[in-house]
Amino acid sequence: MERVFILAASSLREQWRDRAWQVAMLFAGVMLYFSVLLGILAADQELRALLDFGLSFIELMALAAAIFGAATGVLREMETKSIYLILSRPVSRLEYLLGRYLGLVLSMLAAVSLMAGAHLILLLLRGWSFRADYLLALYGIALKVAVAAAVATFFALFSTSALSALVITGILWTLGHFIAEMRFLAARGGLSLLPLAALIQLVPHLQLFNFRDRLDIPASAAAGEPVLLATAYAALYCTCCLALAYALIRRKDF
Amino acid sequence: MGVASALSYDGVSKDYLYSHLGRTTVTRGVAELNLQVAAGEAVGLLGLNGSGKTTTMKLALGLLAPTRGAVLVFGSPAGGRETRRRMGYLPELPYFQPYLTPSETLRLFGRLSGLGAAELGGRIAESLERVGLSAQADRRMTGFSKGMLQRVGMAQCLLHDPQLLLLDEPVSGLDPLAIAEFRDLLVRLREAGVALLIASHSISELERVCDRAAILAEGRVARVAAQSEWSASPGRLEDIFVETVRPTARAA
Repeated sequence: MERVFILAASSLREQWRDRAWQVAMLFAGVMLYFSVLLGILAADQELRALLDFGLSFIELMALAAAIFGAATGVLREMETKSIYLILSRPVSRLEYLLGRYLGLVLSMLAAVSLMAGAHLILLLLRGWSFRADYLLALYGIALKVAVAAAVATFFALFSTSALSALVITGILWTLGHFIAEMRFLAARGGLSLLPLAALIQLVPHLQLFNFRDRLDIPASAAAGEPVLLATAYAALYCTCCLALAYALIRRKDF
Repeated sequence: MGVASALSYDGVSKDYLYSHLGRTTVTRGVAELNLQVAAGEAVGLLGLNGSGKTTTMKLALGLLAPTRGAVLVFGSPAGGRETRRRMGYLPELPYFQPYLTPSETLRLFGRLSGLGAAELGGRIAESLERVGLSAQADRRMTGFSKGMLQRVGMAQCLLHDPQLLLLDEPVSGLDPLAIAEFRDLLVRLREAGVALLIASHSISELERVCDRAAILAEGRVARVAAQSEWSASPGRLEDIFVETVRPTARAA
C-alpha cells in the first residue's frame, strides 16, 4: 500500500504544479467572483443564486478536470513511456493504477476545497448563515468526482483513446443525472425498452449524490441513510470500475 | 549459465497481435532468442530499426510477456517485484514530469524502489553527482535539453544500486564530453560487477564498453561477437555488424 500513497502524492504534486491546472483554478476563482454579480442581478434571490451557481460551478469544474485527468493521465504516461520507469521499479500494476487514481481524486478534492473556501467567503460576505448541509453538498460532489474518475479510468484503458473515454464518460455522466426519468420510460415501454432497463443498471446513479438539494430545505430533517447508501454505492461502483481497469492493465503489453 | 546468469533468455519469442476490423495480424518482435548476460559482463545489442532490441529489454522488465520461452533475471522469472528491485532501466529518450526537479524525481523513484528516507538524500546527491547534474538538482526540468534529461534518466537508473542495468540508447542526445563520461561510468559499473545490457546504434561506443555484442536481425540473434573479434582493430565491430545484417536487410 505504501507505493500507492507514494504515487498518489506524486500525482498530486504534479497536478498542482501544472500550468494548465493553475490557470483553471484562476478561472474558477474569477467565475466564483462573477457569481456575486449574478446574485445581485437575482435581486431578492441573491443568496440562492450565489449558492446554486457556486456549487454547480464547483461540481462542473471538478468533474471536468477529473474526467479529463483520468481519461488522459494513464494514456499520456503510456505515450511518453514514463510508465516504463514506474513499472520497471518494484511496483505492481495494481499499485500503479490505484496510486494514479487516488492521486487524481485527491487533487480534485483539494481543488474542490479551495473553490469551496472561496465560495464560502463570498457567501458569508453577502450575509449567508452557514449550514452544515453545505459540507454535505461538497461531500456529494466528492463522491461524484470519485465515480466519474473511476469510469473514465476504465474507459481510457478499455478504448485506449482519450477522446472516446472523454465522450463515453461524458455521456454516462449526463445519463447518470436522469436515472429516474429513464426508469419511468423503461417502466412504461415494457419489453421494447428492455435495453434501456439494462442500461439503467450500468449507468452510475449520480442523482444519489445530489445532497446540495438539501440546502433548499429550511432545516434539514433528512435522515443519514441516503448519505450512507450513496457512500456505499460510490464505493462499490468505483471498486467495480477499478477492478475492470485492473483486469485490462494486468496483462497489457507495454 | 542458468542461475549464475544475471539475465537469461531461453528460446524466447514474442508475437504482437494487432486486430483491426476483425482481422488479426501477427508481428514478430523476437524469435527463438537465446542470450545470457553474466554479472560483471557488458553485452551490446545491435540491430537495425525494428530488429527487436527494445522488445528484448521490455521482456526482461516484465513490461511484455513472452509468447514462448522463459526470461530469467537472477534465476527468477522476469517481472517479479524482487527481480525489478535489482534492476535499473534507462529507456530511449526518457520523459520526466517537467514541473518536478531532478531531486524530486529521484526521490519518487527511490521511494518506489524501497529506499528509506534516511539513505535517500545521500543516494540522490551521489547519483546526480555521477551524471554531472548536481548544479541542476533543484531546478525544474522545464526546458531541460535532451542530454540533460538523459542524465536524469541515468541517475534514476543508478539510484538504488542495481546489479543489472538495461540501457536503451544511453548516449542518445549527449554531447561528446558527456558521452565520454557515460562510457567511463559504464566501464566502472561493469568492473564493479554490474551486468549491463546495452542497446545502441552507436557501434563505436559498444565496441569500447562491451565484452560481447549480440546482433539482432528480424527478431533473431543472428550472431554473437566476442570482444576478441574486434578488439585488435577499431571499427571491426561495424564490419561484423554490416556483414551480418546486410543479407537480411537486402532480403527484406
